[in-house]
Amino acid sequence: MSKKNDTPEVAEIGCLEALDGLYAYIDGEMDDPMARAKIEHHLGHCSACYSRIELENLLTQRIQKSAKGHAPESLRNRLQDVLGKL
Amino acid sequence: MNDLDTKTWFSHQVEEHTDSLYGYAFRLTRNRADAEDLVAESVTKAWSAIESLKDKSLFRSWLLRILHNSYVSQYRKKKIRPVELSYHDALDNNEEDDFTEFLSEMSDDFLTWWGTPEREFANKVLQRDILAAVEGLPEVFRTVVALVTVEGFSYDEAGEVLGIPSGTVHSRMKRGRTLLQKALWEHALEAGIITNNKTEEYAP
Repeated sequence: MSKKNDTPEVAEIGCLEALDGLYAYIDGEMDDPMARAKIEHHLGHCSACYSRIELENLLTQRIQKSAKGHAPESLRNRLQDVLGKL
Repeated sequence: MNDLDTKTWFSHQVEEHTDSLYGYAFRLTRNRADAEDLVAESVTKAWSAIESLKDKSLFRSWLLRILHNSYVSQYRKKKIRPVELSYHDALDNNEEDDFTEFLSEMSDDFLTWWGTPEREFANKVLQRDILAAVEGLPEVFRTVVALVTVEGFSYDEAGEVLGIPSGTVHSRMKRGRTLLQKALWEHALEAGIITNNKTEEYAP
């Protein structure tokens, strides 16, 4: 008997299950290849969840841009004193 | 490495990560003076405990953990907010928390928008409003968003800093990012950036 397809079939998941794993997927924390494949399969078929992941990625970039700041000069000077006394 | 080399290496590491240390300290204290005190105090403590740092590649997360613990033991005592404690207790007692149940506590209007968002929304809100939404998150969520989203830590690394399992970091990320969007959605409605069609449709 010959195999019709070597690629394992990806189980369908609903939006709630996809959203539950979405942050782990976005943050690169989904180690299980099958779980990742399920999310990607869902995103390929669900425009609402695809929009959500686009929004999440864009929001992540904007949070990084907003929140990443520089330490004030007063702190840098203070740390120089602290480090100089070690 | 002799003492002088260790001291030089330590100083370089502190200088390299000062922005990161200050950024996280500010997310915790939400106050510039307290954040500066917290960083300076943590650097002194870290030097005293330098022998405990076995893997030098983990310097940043090791120092952030010292900083976080210093905050918990000192600064937090002065500024405890009951609502944050209740979130903390709820999560600690139920690490496998149900995200669906969490969503069910949200309003239908928000969920309708949340389920079918427009990508452009993220471009329409102002930087200062995003920052205010991050600052306004309850502490347990603000810390994971600061470590994972802002600092780029893995869930394992963030868990190390906070002293919690990575599964709890994941759970808090889901809730924190959802609460963040809820705050931005509410702000956008008030500012007229988006309209609540459902509300308008059913308004008397």
